Amino acid sequence: MPKVLLVDDDASLLKALRIGLTARGDEVITAYTGAEAVNQVALAAPDLVILDLGLPDIDGIEVCRRIRAFSGVPIVVLSAYGDERRKVEALDSGADDFVTKPFGMAELEARLRVALRHAASRRAEGSEPSPELDVGRLHVDLVHHMAALDGEPLPLTAKEFELLAYLARHAGKVCTHHMILKDVWGPGYGIESNYVRVYTHRLRKKLGDDNGTMLKTVPGIGYQLVGEGNPSAHSTTKR
Amino acid sequence: MDDRLARRGGHQRTVVGIVATLASLGAVLAVLLPFRTSLSTAIPALVFVLPAVIGVVIGGFWVGVVGAAAGFLAYDFFFLPPYDALTVRSGQNWVAVAVYIAVVLIVARVVAQLRSAREEAVRRNEESDRLYELSQALIGDLALPQLLGHIVTIVQDVFEPRWTALVLPQGEHDEPVPGESLEVAARAGRAMSDADVASLTSAQGETRSIGLVADGGDRKPRKVSVALVVNERPVGMLVLEDVVLAGTDRSLLGTFANQAALAVDRARLREEALRARLLEEIDRWRRALMGAASHDLRTPLAAVKTAVSSLRQAGTRLSEEDRAELLELIEQQSDRLARLVTNLLDMTRIESGALEIRPTAMPFDELVEEAVGNLGGIVGPERVRVEAPDDLPMLRIDHVLVSQVLANLLDNAERVSPNGSMIRVTARVAPGSADRIEIAVADEGPGIPHEDRDRVFEMFSQNGRGGGAGLGLAIAKAFVEAHGGLIWVDPDVVIGARVVFTVPADARVAASA
Repeated sequence: MPKVLLVDDDASLLKALRIGLTARGDEVITAYTGAEAVNQVALAAPDLVILDLGLPDIDGIEVCRRIRAFSGVPIVVLSAYGDERRKVEALDSGADDFVTKPFGMAELEARLRVALRHAASRRAEGSEPSPELDVGRLHVDLVHHMAALDGEPLPLTAKEFELLAYLARHAGKVCTHHMILKDVWGPGYGIESNYVRVYTHRLRKKLGDDNGTMLKTVPGIGYQLVGEGNPSAHSTTKR
Repeated sequence: MDDRLARRGGHQRTVVGIVATLASLGAVLAVLLPFRTSLSTAIPALVFVLPAVIGVVIGGFWVGVVGAAAGFLAYDFFFLPPYDALTVRSGQNWVAVAVYIAVVLIVARVVAQLRSAREEAVRRNEESDRLYELSQALIGDLALPQLLGHIVTIVQDVFEPRWTALVLPQGEHDEPVPGESLEVAARAGRAMSDADVASLTSAQGETRSIGLVADGGDRKPRKVSVALVVNERPVGMLVLEDVVLAGTDRSLLGTFANQAALAVDRARLREEALRARLLEEIDRWRRALMGAASHDLRTPLAAVKTAVSSLRQAGTRLSEEDRAELLELIEQQSDRLARLVTNLLDMTRIESGALEIRPTAMPFDELVEEAVGNLGGIVGPERVRVEAPDDLPMLRIDHVLVSQVLANLLDNAERVSPNGSMIRVTARVAPGSADRIEIAVADEGPGIPHEDRDRVFEMFSQNGRGGGAGLGLAIAKAFVEAHGGLIWVDPDVVIGARVVFTVPADARVAASA
């Protein structure tokens, strides 16, 4: 029974979410403000945070940053439609995923599941960086720089491997173009997001994942590596 | 100056000059006549120059000629022997007569030239004064319609035609394009006939040649058209009907036309710049409205969608109580959406200036009831604690508008209030002004940050109060101000937010009565 911290200043949405999540079997605690949210993460140690970006006191992005300063709890951000810049900022500040309002419970639950599962696997591997990662059918051996799909070794170039390893380390989390460039290509690369596009395209070819169910595109934001296909993927987001 | 007037003046001066010449001639004659036998013939010849010169000075050269002729006759008749006859006997006397006439004519010529030079200088001076005045009148930053009116009035006053009209190309174009329709933009003087107007306007596609100021030389009144040209491109046309233009008048009109053209062009550019700024402002406003409206619409919509999908998704796992709560929430949020639509309609009413106040006397309790009723379940009556003194006077308000104000404030308060906390609505006679009632709505929410306290009432400020407050508070402000009241955020509260507004009290009826 995961403990979910719900942070939103709109009492109605908070109430609807609380009832919906409780019915799912979650234990729900709530917060109206950013300061309250940060306190609750410290005191109640939730397994997951659902965070609205528009809060009356502290900006949601700043709340992400403050939580990340002391906790690795997965954060799923609620944001308004069309606010891509804020979503990217939130993800860069440590959020794991986002859901665009208005959303259905099915979509939200799917996101929460992914976030919780990967957080659990991260926890199982402990705080020590693990030499080997498993994401669904994918196996990544960081020591020997080797990756395999269903046991079949993948012929990857050094850069392709680095990218895959990075996404595998952050499996379940939406990684922004900026994060990927900074961490895989180095701090000198801040804006050349076409590099990332080219390499993810090659990776998908080699993974046999042409429609991006494993290595998902989050339009306008970045990429997300998930273990298995997710019914309500970001890539289905329509205008 | 008017030419006809100048001519009339000239005529008068001629008469005066002749009279003065003859009078002075008579006077001189009267003085000299008794001594004519003892005087040499040269003396009267010299003295008789005087009346002729007086005539020239007053009436000009031709009066001088008349004076000379009269002087000659008088001299010959009275002072040249044989006396009292127009006969000149000696050759010596012939010389005297010839010298007399020559002197008078030369003097008359010189004096007349001096006089006309002086008159010319005076006229020049007057003209430059007038031109300066005209230019001054065009310098001020007048709006285009006023400026056009100004131009035709000045032209009418100065040149006195039957009427003056200013013709401009129609429409929004910066400059006339060939074939563009023309219209009479301003006129002055006597009324123009329909035929006059028709002769100046032209429909789209027609071309019209513009007459120029031709030097007719004659003094007959006629129609004169001057093109207003800036940088070799015409901006309009001045038409003067039945006007007499002397040479200098023509150049004055030409110069003034140039000044007017520049002024029209400048006014037009200024107006364009203003229009551009206005459009920009409207655009900014529209974007803000879109942003606020979409945010306000999305918030209740998100709650409704979450609640509905919870009902579908969780289905049987929901307790009866939870199910009821979700359904209530859906209803409440639908009401909120409906209220948003009302607010948007109010907004358009305020913006279009169609806001009309119909004040009636109303007790405070009824106002609160109406406001809570407006909210249709968003705020249950059990959540609202009403506090007012028993002897509170009635309100004099448009209850439709003020109940909307109160409903918007209650809506905001509910949105930010922790579950089940009370919203306090209080009223009292405004301290310091007995004819005003002060109404306050206080919640126990997170409050409004100090720096946002003025901004929350601005149109669509995306503030901390769930963002949606933007529209509601802006409307509240507009409605309160329409009642001559004020609305503000109480700076002294520690917990939650307290919004206060004032409305007029009904002076005649006390609520307790």
